[in-house]
Amino acid sequence: MAAVAVAAEWQLLHDRYYRKLEIYSMQWGRMDLARHRVACAPFGGPIAAIRDDSKIVQLYAESARRKLHIFNSAGVHLASAAWDRPGGRLVGMAWTDDQSLVCVVQDGTVYRYNLRAELSAPQFSMGKECFEQGVVECVFWGNGMICLTEDRQIFCVPDFKNPKPCKLADPGIEEYPLCVTVVEPQYTMSGNVEVLLGVGDYVLAVEEDGVQQLGIGVGPLQKMALSHNGKYLATFTHDGRLLVITTDFSRIILEYNCESALPPEQIAWCGLDSVLLYWDEMLLMVGPRGNPVRYLYDEPIRLIPECDGVRILSNSCMELIQRVPDSTVSIFQIGSTSPAALLYDALDHFDRRSAKADENLRLIRSSLPEAVEACIDAAGHEFDVSRQRILLRAASYGQAFCSHFPQDRDRFQEVCKILRVLNVVRNHEIGIPLSIQQYKVLTAPVLIGRLVNANHHLVALRISEYLNLNPEVVLMHWACSKITASPAIQDAALLEILLDKLKLCKGISYAAIAAHADNTGRRKLAALLVDHEPCSSKQVPLLLSIGEEDTGLLKATESGDTDLVYLVLFHIWQKKPALDFFGTINARPLARDLFIAYARFYKHEFLKDFFLSTGRLQDVAFLLLKESWHLEKNPMASKGGSPLHGPRIRLIEQAQKLFSETKEHTFESKAAEEHAKLLRLQHELEVSTKQAIFVGSSISDTIRTCIVLGNHRAAMRVRAEFKVSEKRWYWLKAFALATVRDWDALEKFSKEKRPPGGYKPFVEACIDADEKAEALKYIPKLAEPRERSEAYARIGMAKEAADAASQAKDGELFGRLKLTLAQNAAASSIFDTLRDRLSFQGVY
Amino acid sequence: MAQIPNLDNAPINLASLREQSQKELLNILRKIRGKKCLVIDPKLGGSLSLLIQTSLLKEYGVELRHLSAEHVQTECSKVLYLVRSQMKLMKFISSHIQHDLSKGVQREYFVYFVPRRTVVCEKIFEEEKVHHMLSIGEYPLYTLPLDEDVISFELDFAYKECYVDGDTSSLWHVAKAIHKLEFSFGLIPNVRAKGKASTKVVDILNSLQVEEPVNTADMGVPEINTLILLDREVDMVTPMCCQLTYEGLLDEILQINNGSVEIDPTIMGGQQEGKKTKVPLNSSDKLYREIRDLNFEVVVQVLRQKATSMQQDYAEVKSTSQSVSGLKDFVKKLNSLPEIARHVNLAQHLQSFTSKPSFHARLDIEQTILELQNYEICFEYIEEMIHKQEPIINMLRLLVLFSITNSGLPKKNFDYLRREILHSYGFEHMSTLYNLEKAGLFRKQETKTNWPTITRALQLIVDDTDTANPNDVSYIFSGYAPLSIRLVQHAIRSGWRSIEEIMKLLPGPHLDLKRGASTSSSSFDIVLGAQSNHDRLMDGRRSLALVVFIGGVTFAEIAALRFLSSQEGMGYDFIVGTTKMVNGNTILETLMSNA
Repeated sequence: MAAVAVAAEWQLLHDRYYRKLEIYSMQWGRMDLARHRVACAPFGGPIAAIRDDSKIVQLYAESARRKLHIFNSAGVHLASAAWDRPGGRLVGMAWTDDQSLVCVVQDGTVYRYNLRAELSAPQFSMGKECFEQGVVECVFWGNGMICLTEDRQIFCVPDFKNPKPCKLADPGIEEYPLCVTVVEPQYTMSGNVEVLLGVGDYVLAVEEDGVQQLGIGVGPLQKMALSHNGKYLATFTHDGRLLVITTDFSRIILEYNCESALPPEQIAWCGLDSVLLYWDEMLLMVGPRGNPVRYLYDEPIRLIPECDGVRILSNSCMELIQRVPDSTVSIFQIGSTSPAALLYDALDHFDRRSAKADENLRLIRSSLPEAVEACIDAAGHEFDVSRQRILLRAASYGQAFCSHFPQDRDRFQEVCKILRVLNVVRNHEIGIPLSIQQYKVLTAPVLIGRLVNANHHLVALRISEYLNLNPEVVLMHWACSKITASPAIQDAALLEILLDKLKLCKGISYAAIAAHADNTGRRKLAALLVDHEPCSSKQVPLLLSIGEEDTGLLKATESGDTDLVYLVLFHIWQKKPALDFFGTINARPLARDLFIAYARFYKHEFLKDFFLSTGRLQDVAFLLLKESWHLEKNPMASKGGSPLHGPRIRLIEQAQKLFSETKEHTFESKAAEEHAKLLRLQHELEVSTKQAIFVGSSISDTIRTCIVLGNHRAAMRVRAEFKVSEKRWYWLKAFALATVRDWDALEKFSKEKRPPGGYKPFVEACIDADEKAEALKYIPKLAEPRERSEAYARIGMAKEAADAASQAKDGELFGRLKLTLAQNAAASSIFDTLRDRLSFQGVY
Repeated sequence: MAQIPNLDNAPINLASLREQSQKELLNILRKIRGKKCLVIDPKLGGSLSLLIQTSLLKEYGVELRHLSAEHVQTECSKVLYLVRSQMKLMKFISSHIQHDLSKGVQREYFVYFVPRRTVVCEKIFEEEKVHHMLSIGEYPLYTLPLDEDVISFELDFAYKECYVDGDTSSLWHVAKAIHKLEFSFGLIPNVRAKGKASTKVVDILNSLQVEEPVNTADMGVPEINTLILLDREVDMVTPMCCQLTYEGLLDEILQINNGSVEIDPTIMGGQQEGKKTKVPLNSSDKLYREIRDLNFEVVVQVLRQKATSMQQDYAEVKSTSQSVSGLKDFVKKLNSLPEIARHVNLAQHLQSFTSKPSFHARLDIEQTILELQNYEICFEYIEEMIHKQEPIINMLRLLVLFSITNSGLPKKNFDYLRREILHSYGFEHMSTLYNLEKAGLFRKQETKTNWPTITRALQLIVDDTDTANPNDVSYIFSGYAPLSIRLVQHAIRSGWRSIEEIMKLLPGPHLDLKRGASTSSSSFDIVLGAQSNHDRLMDGRRSLALVVFIGGVTFAEIAALRFLSSQEGMGYDFIVGTTKMVNGNTILETLMSNA
């Protein structure tokens, strides 16, 4: 039976089964791992190989030049490049999380390659000390690396995205450590990387700011490996024991004597339950209890630790060794009578039209849901497609007899979806042999990212569509790669090809693609692309960077976003000479007005230049006036000096001249002239009266002040100088006399001649001064009965007011008067009484 | 009573909007650890008083200061500036930092822009060579609920910037604010706009929708059915008229700021003068909610009635025959006493102004100007105001009203009045006049006025207005129906097609747009036909219209909209959005020269 065949391949380690699956037979022809340095990326990533120069070159077999080869996990050749980097021996080589290959050479120079064996980022050096001391060893993790120098100093790059090497504390050791490993930042207290050195019979934990001695007496240690959760350390001692210790060295969890004085070449955790040790031709798997399992190899291998097992790379094949999942065990274990096994069996009977199928189902009726779940789970863990299919069929067969388990259906669909994706990427052409657990840790978006990195755009696109993910990343990468790869295609044609695909994704950033086009030297294509960008805040900066200022200004203006307009404005301002700049912005009202707003606030002189060069003389004049007024408000600015000679009048006169040069501003020109004249006159007045109260007041105020001071001659002079109308003169003088309460003078003034505007000024001046008796002198002289009536009303003479109103035959006025007068009294008394009543509450 | 308005009765969930803003602010404070000095620009501080209690800020280790030219005196080593993106404020901040540098004081500086950082402000930091010392962030406060049906974008200078300076930054802000609302309440399907600025806002709104689409599919029925955008420029007549509703008059006479007035304690019956007290005015006050939108004449009567009935109840209580339940009712009523007292005091204060003959004279002349009855009388009235040197702002309001209704003054009069103004108020007002002219508020007559045509067609002047039991919005101004409100009425009744000719007489283009619904979010079909029937929701629920005034709205206009929605047969509720609460004075003050 099939089930038996499956379980026959498993190995039992104490009470747990392990299986070793062959995933690929390698496609790389005659590759000998023994004579190559190899770097394998986890999560089924690519493999980099370069000939080990410490080994003898077999001239008959290969060229003498060393080459860097890159393969996928199935050994399919992806790219190669000559290795001719200076800087000495290649010391370390590894893949980072984002799949760039980091190569460190002896003098501390770090080179980074992409999947196509091209230098993908600028090289950098680990620093002067590394250069002088020489790098001996490197240890990598995630996106970081530490390296040890010959002088036993440790240097660290915490993150290759921002490669800033730093030096860790000096471990202060005399001899080179026996073994090195790192504790990743995510597992340390400090959040920084910690380096463990096996020195003498203890371990040194080295951090950026300190060294700590740990586990005195456990060693000497020859090899170390940290578990995936960062909690346990597997070590190999000089006397041939495997020790598993907690990372704080407080407890030894496992001790096993390997009976080999020679340390293993490689040591790796397989999941969290067992440790793999590799010596030449022998792989030993040690678990917490029971006898270890031995595997024999007649060719060299490399152990590649994964989160749920270890991949084993040999010259001929790629294998995965992992603990058999519980669900799989429950189905395929020999003699298993678990519900899942019976369900699997039932399907077999059903296929063979045997009635035993029904019998099986009846047996497990109550635990059918668990059985279905186990089949689904086991299918997920399966690499073999036909076995996946049978397991899924068993699940769906069982599901048919489950009355209600909607979540099962979701789970079923989910696993089917994942399996489809996994089966596609496991194809040897793509060569990413992910297990379902690795896939979940890696996540779909990262997988898609890796696919596009490897130029599998179509697959990536299909997967993102299938999983309902935004295809933007894929299309974006595709477009950029397409541009890089198509230097021969004409701009227009290439644009069409790009647009055809890009329209699949709404909201994709054309600006980013255009930026790439610009970087690859295709400015015209960039301009064409950026035109399709709907988001102006992305479009405009790019237009500026490709030198399309005019279009940038146009687009910014169209967007209505003034911030963008300013961005363009300042850009052009910086780049162009003033006159060109003026010309550009003068053609665009919004840009022009924004420039004026800014310059009015911050660049006065420059603004004047702008107005002059664009013929806006009146605006220059207003600027000058403002300056003059500003000086008045801040007299400190124009210390000393009379306004006559001071800049104030000069500024006003300049303004006047400018106004007069335009046709439309004769009014302003005259006003400015009068303004200057007024200032002069006021200054004279201040000198003659020795009172600094004139400058800054208006003509009317000046007249009033003169009269109040009793200086009628001066008042007359101001009146004459500025041709103040009689009407206004009467108002001003009447009010001024009322201010000083010179009622005789007021009466005399009223009798000088018949006032041109009537007696209203006199009445109002008196009422304002609250002088009823005086007002009464003039009220009867008011020509209009209506005015008389209102005046009486204002001084509270209701009867006279009513009489006058009736004289005016103005019913509306009469009514209103009655109302306001009556209401006033009544209303206020009501409010008053109300307030009295409310106050007992004490709410105030 | 709290100044922060209660938003529970809002037609859309403004409370959550406000909570979001509160949270964002507190997050900023949390991010900057330890004690810090928070320096707020005073205008923004006023706005924030409607959002968050100062005491809450203190809990976050904040020492509160107002931003001015004065240097900040504080022991804190971290200074957080929370400022609107205005150039003037950047200058202050720069000078503070330079001052600290010269004194050798080392501090950490954080600048958070409201609502977003701008190139021009950062440019000033660069020019002042302090940019590298700042950590810059954003506090995206685009909208502030003033009351349950009013939201403000808090753009004090929007009118001047748009119509005088040509700086349209505020339009982007308004569009962004509306777009943000759409993210919460759904894409607004019907849009009507009148005026240059409004149509520009619609443009920006559309491109924002393309850049960052509001998902129409999974939001269900949009909560706001119609968006009506109006330029203040379209109707500058209304704000120039004296508002006659209770709330409007309070604003005209006492200036409502951020939903409260500051008054002398004596007005409220307090004994001694001195520090001004703040009286919050929003719909959390039930009595205020009832009377705020009534014509002031009526308010006096209502208050009198309330007081009288109170008095009667009191008399009954005193007569011992009261049952316990009767007493209970009375005690309940007593709770409303503080409210009655407050408004009686305020009303009394207002009445001391409204009973003056000069107040009536002003209303008379306003009416005369609106009806274009007698050019000479109006002209002389204004001339006299200038000669008497009455407060310039009062004079300008009438002058502007006069100029608009006459579509400018004949050159001779124009020049004459300008000269008299400069002579009376000082030559510094040359730039005030220049600004007024640029904004088209006081200008030379070039064409015949079409104001009579507009008044007639839109029935702006209503002769027999019953202010006590109004049946038309004209009660608000005792006989004048605000032009802006008439436009809104037409917009929701039958669209603007029916008054196409009149629309053309008003400044700026107008548009009528239907958006969304279809899956292609980027296409906007202009619907030419009148409003279709399914604009109103089938289930008989009332639709909601957001009416946005660009350049400010007056309390009187809001009152009018509230009145409209309370009318029988009206299928709409209104939410008012505005760049700022304004009245004639505050608009004109932004145009006055403050060189």
